[in-house]
Amino acid sequence: MEIKHSHVVLDACCVLNFCASGYLIEILESIPAQVVVAEVVRERELLTLQKLRDENNEDVNQFEAAIGKGLLSIVEFDSELEEETFINYVFELGDDGESATGAIAFHRDWAIATDDKKAISFFRQEAPDLQILSTLAIVKHWSEKEKLSSTTLQSALSAIRIRGRYVPHRNHPLLGWWEEMMG
Amino acid sequence: MGISSTQKNAMATNILDDIDLCQLGELLQQARKKSGMTQADAAKVIDAARTTIVAIEKGDRRLKPKELIQLARAYGRAISDFVRSTPVTEPFEVQFRAAYQRNEKEEAQITPTIQRFEELCRNYLELEKIMDAPLPRNYPQEYDVTNMPIEAAAESIAIAERQRLGLGDSPVPMLRNILEQSVGIRVFYLNMPAKYSELYSYDDQLGGCMAINLGHYEERRRWSMAHGYLHFLAHRRKPVVDFEGQYKRVPESERLAEAFSKYFLMPTSSLLSRFNDMHRTHGKFTPTNLFTLAHYYGVSVEALGYRLEDMKLIPSGTLDRLRDRGLKVRKVQKELGLEDIDQRADILPTHYQHLAIEALDQGLITEGRFADFLGVDRLEGRRIAESLREYSSGMLDESAHLDLRKV
Repeated sequence: MEIKHSHVVLDACCVLNFCASGYLIEILESIPAQVVVAEVVRERELLTLQKLRDENNEDVNQFEAAIGKGLLSIVEFDSELEEETFINYVFELGDDGESATGAIAFHRDWAIATDDKKAISFFRQEAPDLQILSTLAIVKHWSEKEKLSSTTLQSALSAIRIRGRYVPHRNHPLLGWWEEMMG
Repeated sequence: MGISSTQKNAMATNILDDIDLCQLGELLQQARKKSGMTQADAAKVIDAARTTIVAIEKGDRRLKPKELIQLARAYGRAISDFVRSTPVTEPFEVQFRAAYQRNEKEEAQITPTIQRFEELCRNYLELEKIMDAPLPRNYPQEYDVTNMPIEAAAESIAIAERQRLGLGDSPVPMLRNILEQSVGIRVFYLNMPAKYSELYSYDDQLGGCMAINLGHYEERRRWSMAHGYLHFLAHRRKPVVDFEGQYKRVPESERLAEAFSKYFLMPTSSLLSRFNDMHRTHGKFTPTNLFTLAHYYGVSVEALGYRLEDMKLIPSGTLDRLRDRGLKVRKVQKELGLEDIDQRADILPTHYQHLAIEALDQGLITEGRFADFLGVDRLEGRRIAESLREYSSGMLDESAHLDLRKV
């Protein structure tokens, strides 16, 4: 996985999946770029992460610990152009989190990480140069970089599947890999 | 920033320059009021004079992106609540305020339900638009009941509707599905204070819409649905809020709706025949028979008891006497092994849920929006998406579009 940019903006799907995996810190450490989350996403998804914590008492702490360690930063809009693009994207996507993620990345020439079908097709059309990563691409990169044991990888993917209730869509380029790893 | 000018121009138009300012102003005003903020509070948020907020809410002043972001945050709302192209319908609060007088306490109790009801109806229209799949309507002409005796009018409409919907004179199983799928009425089950049973509304875009009290037993919800259905059949454009103790003198429209419910759910011919069969078999009509028959028609024991008293099949006052003897309905039902009647107690109509999952799977809405449509968080949204996909037999994205007549 090559990242052509200095930063990657994670959307809510990816934050949720990485937190559900139980390996948020390790995954973030493996990403060769500064990882950020838009304030809009943090604000909105905090309650969901809280819900995950009730089951395991870990995820919000992982999220906060990642911020504390400087592995994850929260970013706000920093120009009128970003704010304007954000609102334009919301009009098209009907989703504040995806729109903020895309608008910030677009104006700062950063990459994004999202699994959202609608957001991906929208950004491919609106911002064809935007690099779009996915949960599976990042987890695969982490497993290869850290030469993870199949047990660890399987436990992370199973947690994403079960606790995060994530399933890659049938046209996902890494569906075969996911199925193979999940056994 | 390393972005080419063509790319920068990809979305050159600022949506706030083109948006309907009056509508945006109204939405902002509603959101401000819901958040309990004054115009002066809101003005502080964007560092402006109160008159600026007045102008914004009147649609006289264009907002800067930053101002909209700041106001939405202060009101605890998403930007998508303000700039999404949602269908415009007549505000329910206005309709229902005109429908009945309520005091401040009642207002505070029921307003959140009315707002939720309206939001769900608007979401439904939006989903239909996204999927280009309007809810099929099988609406009859409005029945004219002017100067007709109530009981005769109610029974005649009940018979006509049973015939129109192909129900014969059997019990009506899953009334909610019939109203949603065979008639095309939007039926939501919503939490509301116990004394409220039903909200009914109609407009040309939405058609007939009902919110039924989720907290009631299904027998009572069925009664409320039948009651609301009569409003749709005979007083279509009159919004209704039904709750206990509402009237000192019950108006004709309400008496008609109550009478319709009994004839629609317990048709005379069928009830008479079942009663006679039971009476013949046992040589008497016992409380067990009463419970079994109520279960058969999916109505409360009370509703059936009064209906039998009306028909003079049991003596007047029988039900009151049973109650005086300390009859515990739920306990007896349990002892008799009567299971809960068939029901679908989801908040949302089936068609709504299916439009939402299809829109998600076809990439027409985001996961976050899907969760919003279902009124849940993202994680719960994923769980519901999975179960909806299982329900639709794991149909492939591609095959969902097939025309089975041409395969």
